[in-house]
Amino acid sequence: MVDWRLYEPLINFARKRSMWIVSFCTGCGGIEMPPLMTSRYDLERFGMMPNPAPRMADLFLITGYVTPKTLKRIIITYEMQPDPKYVLAHGSCPLNGGIYWDAYNAIKHLDKYIPVDVAIAGCMPRPEAVMDGIKKMMELIETGKADGWKRYKENYEYYKKNQDELFGEGWRERTARRWIPWLMNKRKEIGGGEQ
Amino acid sequence: MNLEKEQMIVETILQKAPYAEGKVRRERRIEFRIPPDRIRDFLTLLKENNFESMMQITAVDWLKDGEIELVYQMWSYTHAIHAFVKTRIPRDVDKARAPSVRDIYPVAETYERDAHEFYKVTFEGNDKLEMPWILEDEDREAGVSHRKDFDMLGYVKKKYKLLDRFEEDKENYVI
Repeated sequence: MVDWRLYEPLINFARKRSMWIVSFCTGCGGIEMPPLMTSRYDLERFGMMPNPAPRMADLFLITGYVTPKTLKRIIITYEMQPDPKYVLAHGSCPLNGGIYWDAYNAIKHLDKYIPVDVAIAGCMPRPEAVMDGIKKMMELIETGKADGWKRYKENYEYYKKNQDELFGEGWRERTARRWIPWLMNKRKEIGGGEQ
Repeated sequence: MNLEKEQMIVETILQKAPYAEGKVRRERRIEFRIPPDRIRDFLTLLKENNFESMMQITAVDWLKDGEIELVYQMWSYTHAIHAFVKTRIPRDVDKARAPSVRDIYPVAETYERDAHEFYKVTFEGNDKLEMPWILEDEDREAGVSHRKDFDMLGYVKKKYKLLDRFEEDKENYVI
């Protein structure tokens, strides 16, 4: 029996150099992604790349304000990711609402609903600030302090309670079924309902 | 400034629609006021007079007058003229009704859904008004709207459980 804890530093080093990003841009910070990815700042030299499937991703970038509608999808996507998973929150909106502090459609504290490892202040943070946050994230991963995924498991009741308070019990199923009546009507309109 | 083209279009339309009032606001902007029961007639007339495109239906809440103003914003590609068609309907939720113009301008379906969701105007003849739009179901049930008498800040505090740091001084709210 091999004690895998011996290899933890090596594994952490490897994890830090190969963070894949979920392609999920919320809010206005998505516009900072193209300069980050392209030749000017070039994130790929750190082994990062955007990835179409959450099943293969490590890093979740919350780029900007989060509406309740998006938060539902964020939670579902976050839970789809495999286990060492890290969350990087951009800008002031996920921290305390930012300029949307009195808006009915932007959540105020993201860390009540999913754990956040690194938060970058600014509105919007420039690509340099995002790079700084990514550097910080690499340090935390190497030292094993980026433990948001562990906290999510340990304190799942707390996060679940907050999510249910905001969306109401059984929101996952309700969201999934929301469009069904209208889609059925659509099928009837185009003549496919009878079959 | 030469407003002859605008004057001519306003006069042509007013001749065919004596119930409307119209004027030229400035270059390339004209404005009409019509009674709410003639919306469909008037927009049909505009469509015949080369106003091909509807850009927006804006709802304005006039709290003191007790009325909601619907502004149909029409654009003519032929004349390059923007026409505002203004009409006023009562503000009470059960009386705020207007005829749908979905069959004249198909794009109106979307804008009518928008006005219905945020200003609770019912457009008779549009069967997609209840279709999910921007608001989530929880917000809809709580009656969120952009009408002036809806206490938005109170709703936000209740929904997100924000701490009220200046409870005693509600007039001058400071964060």
